[in-house]
Amino acid sequence: MIEYAVFFFFAAVAVIFALMVVLHRNPVVGALALVASFFALAVMYVLLEAPFLAALQVIVYAGAIMVLFLFVIMLLNLQKQREEPTRPLQQFLGYAGSAAFGIGLVYYLSKYAVMELPAGPFIADARTVGIRLFEAYIFPFEMVSILLLAAIVGALLLSGVRTEERT
Amino acid sequence: MIPTQWFLILSAILFAIGVCGVLTRKNGITIFMSIELMVNAVNLTFLAYARQFHQIHGLIFVFFVMAIAAAEAAVGLAIFISLFHHRATIDVDEANLMRW
Repeated sequence: MIEYAVFFFFAAVAVIFALMVVLHRNPVVGALALVASFFALAVMYVLLEAPFLAALQVIVYAGAIMVLFLFVIMLLNLQKQREEPTRPLQQFLGYAGSAAFGIGLVYYLSKYAVMELPAGPFIADARTVGIRLFEAYIFPFEMVSILLLAAIVGALLLSGVRTEERT
Repeated sequence: MIPTQWFLILSAILFAIGVCGVLTRKNGITIFMSIELMVNAVNLTFLAYARQFHQIHGLIFVFFVMAIAAAEAAVGLAIFISLFHHRATIDVDEANLMRW
């Protein structure tokens, strides 16, 4: 029973903070709300018996990526910028379309995606994930490291070099 | 043990919220954060199915998705910094040079 209570509490937290990301005007508040939502999702990962991924979610997502977002928001001083509201038609179509999409998806899942509970416990700790990662997935792992290197170079090129020198 | 279906429903709700953010906002960074939200919703689906079918491949995919989201965030934010230097705004409607 305590498991269900934890699930519903953190599901509500995740959804409320996700709504705050979308609806709040100030991007700093949005970024902090997204961090809170990611923490709630990390709790979901623990409930799904993947503690290693939960730790990665907190460290990499809430720690590294969101700090990057906040850093850019502060660097560009975006709190002072007034965001123009979108056109009413676009706003209506956006809300109505995404609501219809979400309701349709939830309806489909609650009607057709009913599965019996998995047979036994499935503990995916760091050891299991690491062994599989470095046995079967070693090539994609190296590819991701090269991709990250390319991303570093690209980010430096896009943001570091002064534009006057290049044009 | 919580049924897999509930995790899928939570993931669907978060994904729909992310879609809503991309469609209705103009601030580039907020759109980016909505995309991160959608990525996380898909990660939750991956983990739910990984537990359901006792497959560890789902976890490995979540690992790769996190790495690629980090790369995407770095490059995307660099693009926004560059855009801000050119236009002094990150309103995505102002970036219309390549628009048809």
